[in-house]
Amino acid sequence: MRNILAGLLSCFLVFGCDERTPEFSEYEVVDLEIVDPTGQEIVYWYQHTREREKELQTMIAHFNQSNPYDISVKGEFAGSYKDIYNKMVVGIQTDVLPNITVAYQNQAVAYYRDGGIVDITPYMDSSKWGLKPDDRKDFVESFLSHDFINGVQIGFPPNRSIEVLYYNANWLQEIGFDHPPRTWDQFAALCSIAKDRPFSLNVNKKRSIGFLIEADASRLASMVFSRGGNLADIENKLYSFDSMEMRSSLVWLRKWIVDGSVELLSEKYADQAEFAAGQVLFMLGSSSGLPFVESAVRDGFDFEWNVTHLPHTTHSPKVNVYGASISLCKSSASKQLASWLFLKWLTEPEQQARWVRASNYFPVRRSTADRLTDYFKENPQYKSAYSLLEFGKSEPTISSYQQVRKKMQEIIVDVAYGGDVEQAVNNLQSYAEQLNY
Amino acid sequence: MEREYSRLTRKILLYFGLVVGAASAMFPFLWMTLSSFMTRGETIRRAFIPENIQLANYVEAWHEANFGLYFENSVIVAVIQVIGTLTLSLLAAYPLARMEFRGRDTIFAIILATLMIPETVTMVPNFLTVTWLHRNTPILWLNSWPSLTIPFLTSAFSIFLLRQFLRGIPNDLWEAARIDGAGHLRFLFRIVLPLCRPPLLTVGMFTFIGSWNSLAWPLLVTNSSEWRPISVGLQQFVSEAGAEIHLQMAGAVIATIPVLFVYFLIQKEFTEGISMSGLKG
Amino acid sequence: MNNRTKDNFIAWALLSPALVVLTAFGLFPILYAFYVSLHSWRIKRDAFIGFKHYLQAIGDPLNLLAFGVAVLGLFLIARFRRNLSSGSSILVKKWSFFLYIPAIWLLLAYGLLGLIETGDYRLYNGFRVTIFYALGTIPFQLSTALFLAYLLFNSLRGKGAFRILFFLPYVTPAIATAVVFRSIFSSHPLSFANGFLELLGLEGERWLSESHSIVTLALTRLGFSDLPLWLDTAFPSLALVSVIFYNIWVYVGYDIVILLAGLSAIPNHYFEAAKIDGANSWQLFRHVTLPLVSPTLFFLSMVAVIGTFKAFNHIYILKNPGAKDSVDVISVVIFEQIFEFHNAGYASAMAMVLFIAIIFLTFIQNRLLGKRVFYGT
Repeated sequence: MRNILAGLLSCFLVFGCDERTPEFSEYEVVDLEIVDPTGQEIVYWYQHTREREKELQTMIAHFNQSNPYDISVKGEFAGSYKDIYNKMVVGIQTDVLPNITVAYQNQAVAYYRDGGIVDITPYMDSSKWGLKPDDRKDFVESFLSHDFINGVQIGFPPNRSIEVLYYNANWLQEIGFDHPPRTWDQFAALCSIAKDRPFSLNVNKKRSIGFLIEADASRLASMVFSRGGNLADIENKLYSFDSMEMRSSLVWLRKWIVDGSVELLSEKYADQAEFAAGQVLFMLGSSSGLPFVESAVRDGFDFEWNVTHLPHTTHSPKVNVYGASISLCKSSASKQLASWLFLKWLTEPEQQARWVRASNYFPVRRSTADRLTDYFKENPQYKSAYSLLEFGKSEPTISSYQQVRKKMQEIIVDVAYGGDVEQAVNNLQSYAEQLNY
Repeated sequence: MEREYSRLTRKILLYFGLVVGAASAMFPFLWMTLSSFMTRGETIRRAFIPENIQLANYVEAWHEANFGLYFENSVIVAVIQVIGTLTLSLLAAYPLARMEFRGRDTIFAIILATLMIPETVTMVPNFLTVTWLHRNTPILWLNSWPSLTIPFLTSAFSIFLLRQFLRGIPNDLWEAARIDGAGHLRFLFRIVLPLCRPPLLTVGMFTFIGSWNSLAWPLLVTNSSEWRPISVGLQQFVSEAGAEIHLQMAGAVIATIPVLFVYFLIQKEFTEGISMSGLKG
Repeated sequence: MNNRTKDNFIAWALLSPALVVLTAFGLFPILYAFYVSLHSWRIKRDAFIGFKHYLQAIGDPLNLLAFGVAVLGLFLIARFRRNLSSGSSILVKKWSFFLYIPAIWLLLAYGLLGLIETGDYRLYNGFRVTIFYALGTIPFQLSTALFLAYLLFNSLRGKGAFRILFFLPYVTPAIATAVVFRSIFSSHPLSFANGFLELLGLEGERWLSESHSIVTLALTRLGFSDLPLWLDTAFPSLALVSVIFYNIWVYVGYDIVILLAGLSAIPNHYFEAAKIDGANSWQLFRHVTLPLVSPTLFFLSMVAVIGTFKAFNHIYILKNPGAKDSVDVISVVIFEQIFEFHNAGYASAMAMVLFIAIIFLTFIQNRLLGKRVFYGT
């Protein structure tokens, strides 16, 4: 008996110590309540750099010191989203995986399909380890559901970004308005006026337009949402591009591009540049661009500006909410549990507030706002954007949506340069329909 | 008199063309350098000239991108790759260019074929190979210098280039050596090798540049900063919401200088044709 | 051991280190990619599906057969016409020309068009764009480089400085050069390219965001309207032309360096002898320099063809939604299959098709140009 035990122990030592052999056992269905996460070592792949990375590493160190289970997390910069995808792809094939990784929804779906990541629902719902009902309610529900695809929670959101309308407040005042447009017609009128009445601080008066918009699916989605439309009927897994709201969005876009007061963005980040140069009155972009616009304006003409929601025909405003989430990779039951505990900790309000200050992202729990009063004071634009979180709506969580996005981009370009709206909408709808979910 | 006049105009036109070409070649580098001296706001606003020279950018880029460590790694990896490539490729090019043996042309065709597939597709199988080697040999491959260097110890490109050059060496030289009793090996090391300086330097330089700028593969095979190269450091300054161009360009300037330096050192070699003493015309 | 065996042994001994590395990291990936392409394979291997991916990509095998038969037919007709002895009547020679017509019809109508309809449009568009790209860059790149290299090789003031300057585009990181070129060819009315047009009194263009072909745009400027769509397919788009500009700009320096190496390997006495014989600079170039640098030129043209067909980075970096799919060379299509559609199996099949295409092209190139290369005395 002793020999057998010794043999087992030595095997354990040999294989356990050799960091090169895969450490995990096959994932059996285990009762979560009895799994022990003590002493586990977790690897976390992220794409953050600079200040965000520094803060994340500090937070990780704090977790390692303070968590009651002696779990130690090792955070590693693994490249951009694309590089991380590459690493995950080869990792899934060779069992060289982290324990948690950053992933966009479409990437996470791909990982899940091939058994690289697991469903987080059991962890969220566990009575011993999961989210308490109050905590669960504290989450902005649409953020969680954004990662809930085909009945599986493929990711857990640590933060979010929202798409906001940046506007030059001083310029608006010069034109005679003291608030951003409330209807699409007002918006169009303002753009048109902006074309003819350049900003006073603009040194290049020949270049003056109202709205610079990127040919991106998320921008179009924002426009459709603001008119009360949907891109898909999630419950029945049907795309619904063939809608009045889609048509009116495209018609509006085409009309005002032809007029010359709205333009399609031709160079990445050029909208930030032109906005800061006072050449563009409105731009539509992610809230994560706030710090960039802020430094550009501050180092330039330092005019007053702010962010708000798009004009809406619905009862309350609608903003497009998006962001990557963190997925839980497949490994041993203990490691998975330990990873979940770290994720849960990351989304606690105290950590969320810390993360907001460093990253300028938006938290996923409402009560975080209580800890951010001073931050709001110092960053008025962030505060404006924050107030819009309640009105968040996400793009469809159907797995084929990523491919549809490309088509949406195409039809924006088509319509902008004079194409027929009806044809574009029909193309989009039929293209989307023939994809597998 | 007339002939001199047309000669002069030709010269002027030539210089004019060269200057225009050089100016356009230099322009982005100039922009890159100017941007490296700007503040973040200035770069986002697309200012053309910085108001003040922000030397701090270089210091910040150096620290943020962990340049001290990454620089060292890049140099080590590049040197190993260059030495390896020069050796293995020359050894391989010689028989392909100057010897008759069975299967010569087939082997050369197969070697060339390895060039014909995009990197996107070769990365995954190469990672599988490296992981297998990591698990089944006593050498540490992943997260260490072997995976960064050994796959690139030769390339079809360098073999091909050297082979072309070697084929151009006049046969008389070989005949003379044979008469003197030398075999292939002696010919290769005593006579051919000294003649090879220009193409060897070229191969060396391109290998250096390729190694210096490679990004996707190092990211794939490393998990910690221990062995990461400079190119990974430069990635620090790009995010999905915007780029910190002022730091990125400072980093890019720092990263480009060594390459330019290497080129400067060797370009003197490419002046006149070689003089082959001991050979009658 | 006789000489033959000894030679064999030495040859393989010298080759082996390189072969080991190349087999493991150059050949194996190709075989692996082929293996992957035969399976339904997203991230992990799924089911074995044989050549289904290829059928999906290339199209109906009947059309492929028609295409192949037509190509073979064209070769045979050409051979037949060449072999017509001078004794045959002129009439036969003239009329045999018309044999080409049914072959070309078969090639295009039933072969190519059928393939495009039944196969993957993205793949064929990829080939179309890649061919335009190759034709647009290679000749200009090589001729400019040869000209400049020759100048820099001969006595010229300040050639050291010029040599470094011309090499800068290749050496400067692509992130930096791309940002500048995106700015130059931006559709912004004040971009450099549009400023240039304004100087000529012309209206601006959308450059990198323009998916219409240069011919369509030129005709539009001349006053034509309602131009047929096929003009956009038959000619490169303005976006692609801008990308071509960028690539020529980047790679001229690279070609110059290689050509300089080739030029400087020419033994001096060839030049001296020719000069003594009274050759002027053009004759020197044409009859001494050109033949002696032809191995290098051949190398460059081969590498250029392989390189342009494989090209990815310097194209993807300038890609813009406005250009739609008019700059999507094959490597970009493959890349998107992997990173956006998460379909490794299909991507590998396309990579294999590209591989075969490049082999084929290299083979033809070798046939056509290989004989004109002059290797030593």
